[in-house]
Amino acid sequence: MINLAPTRRAVILGLAIAFVIPGLSFAQSPKHGGTLKISHSTRIATLNVLQLSGPAEYPSVDMLYSGLTRIGPDNSPTPDLAMDWVGAEDGTVFTFNLRSGVTFHDGTPFTADDVVATFEAILKPETSSPARSVVDMIESVEAVDPLTVRFNLSISYADFPTAVAHANARIVSAKALAGPLSDLDTKPNGTGPFKLETYDSARVVRFVKNENYFIEGKPYLDAVEMHLFPDLAAETVNYLSGAVDVMLNVQQADYERIASAPGSNALRVPSGRFVNVVMRQDQPPFDDVRVRKALAMSVDRQTLVDIVLEGLGRPANDNILSSEYRYTIDSPEIPYDPAAAKALLAEAGHPDGIKIKLVASNRPAIRAQVAIAIKQMALPAGFDIEVETMPHDTYLANVWRKGNFYMAYWGMQPTEDGAFTLLLTSDAAFEDTAWNSAEFDALVAKGRSSLDEAERARLYAEAQELILRDAPYIIPFFQDVLTASRDNVQGWTVHPLSRVFYIENVWLN
Amino acid sequence: MSELIRTPPGAVGALLLALIIVAVLFGPLLAPYDPQTFYTTVRLQGPSADHWLGTDQFGRDLLSRLLHGSRATIAFGLGATGLGVCAGSLIGVSAGVAGGWVDSIIMRTLDGLLAVPDLLFTLLIVTMLGGGTGHAMLAVAVAFTPGMARIARSSVLSIREREYVLAAVARGESQGYIILREVIPNAIGPIVVEATIRVSFAIMIGATLGFLGLGAQPPSTEWGLMVAEARQFMFRSPWGVAVPGLAIAVAALGFNLFGDALRDSFDPRRRR
Repeated sequence: MINLAPTRRAVILGLAIAFVIPGLSFAQSPKHGGTLKISHSTRIATLNVLQLSGPAEYPSVDMLYSGLTRIGPDNSPTPDLAMDWVGAEDGTVFTFNLRSGVTFHDGTPFTADDVVATFEAILKPETSSPARSVVDMIESVEAVDPLTVRFNLSISYADFPTAVAHANARIVSAKALAGPLSDLDTKPNGTGPFKLETYDSARVVRFVKNENYFIEGKPYLDAVEMHLFPDLAAETVNYLSGAVDVMLNVQQADYERIASAPGSNALRVPSGRFVNVVMRQDQPPFDDVRVRKALAMSVDRQTLVDIVLEGLGRPANDNILSSEYRYTIDSPEIPYDPAAAKALLAEAGHPDGIKIKLVASNRPAIRAQVAIAIKQMALPAGFDIEVETMPHDTYLANVWRKGNFYMAYWGMQPTEDGAFTLLLTSDAAFEDTAWNSAEFDALVAKGRSSLDEAERARLYAEAQELILRDAPYIIPFFQDVLTASRDNVQGWTVHPLSRVFYIENVWLN
Repeated sequence: MSELIRTPPGAVGALLLALIIVAVLFGPLLAPYDPQTFYTTVRLQGPSADHWLGTDQFGRDLLSRLLHGSRATIAFGLGATGLGVCAGSLIGVSAGVAGGWVDSIIMRTLDGLLAVPDLLFTLLIVTMLGGGTGHAMLAVAVAFTPGMARIARSSVLSIREREYVLAAVARGESQGYIILREVIPNAIGPIVVEATIRVSFAIMIGATLGFLGLGAQPPSTEWGLMVAEARQFMFRSPWGVAVPGLAIAVAALGFNLFGDALRDSFDPRRRR
């Protein structure tokens, strides 16, 4: 069996293949014109850039809007509407210099006032923007002059230029924000490379080229159409027949078939997204770290990668950070050892094993598949797991962040701090472990305000050591992001975060 | 019995039923492998000498899962139909015996319920109660009740005026005695025939609910759930869908043909 354990070099190489090769093909004079048809399987329910969270909504707003910064291939912030930025006063003040001569799709010039209005809207709780918790350290934002904007932060925050690249923190015009917020649902007015032409959320959303886009000569395409296929089989058939040019998300089960089909290029990008087993620590049996460790030893990670991910991923060892993050430490491999797990369970006071119910929502199917596999793998260690599947909405209402043993599923975050404060700190946005480690909280707080690379690396390494010591989650693998495009499509990429798509670089041959 | 299998459909039905009964009674003994064990080196395979019907996405043996699953699947069909028949017969016989306005109220209410298709009715109930085998079975039983009540009532209406019933009334027997000893034994023929045919529908509805994730829960080997789990891999290996799908069809066909033959044998006009 091929060991897919990630080395930093392999991952960087993977990213290089994903991003540089399309870059190379640009060099050979891209052609202008044509319409790119993208298929997707989830509705574009809204185009409200401040609020949306759908998988097909992200590429849509990536075309329509620009942010101050944009996440680059290596996960670091790159210039977008801001040409450059400086941090001062120990990282509590950030000043961004904006591009001049940029206009919104309706012709209004873009100025610092739009940035101020956008961030003030995001910070209002009633906007309920997912970006709010990421930038809530902003104390005030001010327009120094029409092309300079300054943020004053309540804490030192080295990752701030990454935080403002959040998919929901893209710049909306002050004029639009003066009107009702719901107008943004269907009438987007951004500075991005494409403008909205038709919005039919049940069928197709069509974007056309923004002739006044601030990067000279881009975009190459005349138009982009996002076609909705609620049925996965229909989506695959349409893609394979050439009726659409790009399939936004490919299912593991279909990947090989799509990769080997003539005229089709399947693309797989290593990512830090994962399925995790949540074990609440404020009640038995998982209040005992030995029980959590015993379960961790009862999971055959490589086999899960092979049978659930079809090999399209890498085994993980309960560290929430994959090697795509900057400060990831090497986590020791947790071998599959049911005998040792059984002994540890006995030591923890469960010589006859544990009978427990594991809940998995039915969407995506991978949650239940992992649950069933773990049930079988953990049987010889003495875990008698009963799997209960339920519709996703029921799960969200009754089990998520309430139950003591269930399957969760998370995408990759742009920064270490983003991942820690999403799930694991005591005040994390979606805290569900009841771990409440003051030690961990302190390390994360220190790390986020440290401006010294080496010190951050050390603090984050210590924080990860704590995760490995206390095993708040079982994270069996990291799942690759899968997409596919037809032969004539040049420059189509996906990012491990699945938030930026750079469609202005895509052209049709 | 010999009369039942004289016609080709009856013979086929009886044969299929016999197969199913063998699977239900001896399935776990006949199964070559444990139905839950992963054989990860032989995932998504077609039939072979080692795995006669192939394997699923976890490398579990399809034949073994099919044999084990026959119990859950058939038990669901029989259980749901049994409950529905009992409830329906009770209501139908009561309405038929009582007559008058009681009969009118009960039957008009049931007519209203009959307007809703069985599967839709079942889905409504399962959505209200939540999924799981027990709830699904109850839902199918409730959906079957109006139809069974109608059949039971019509038999009772024709029997009510027969001489032996009038004789029992003349003897001064109690209402309960008349229903239990005179009416039901004579009305049971059509009810049994209807029930047999309905088992096939119950099996299919059960499989549908399992497929939709509202019935049996993984890693159960219930056949509808097997189809649902294999659907994602249909293009790579059709066996995971085809094997349990065929099994559902065979079971439904068996009960249906047998029920038809049973009805024919009860029908005096068709007797030669």
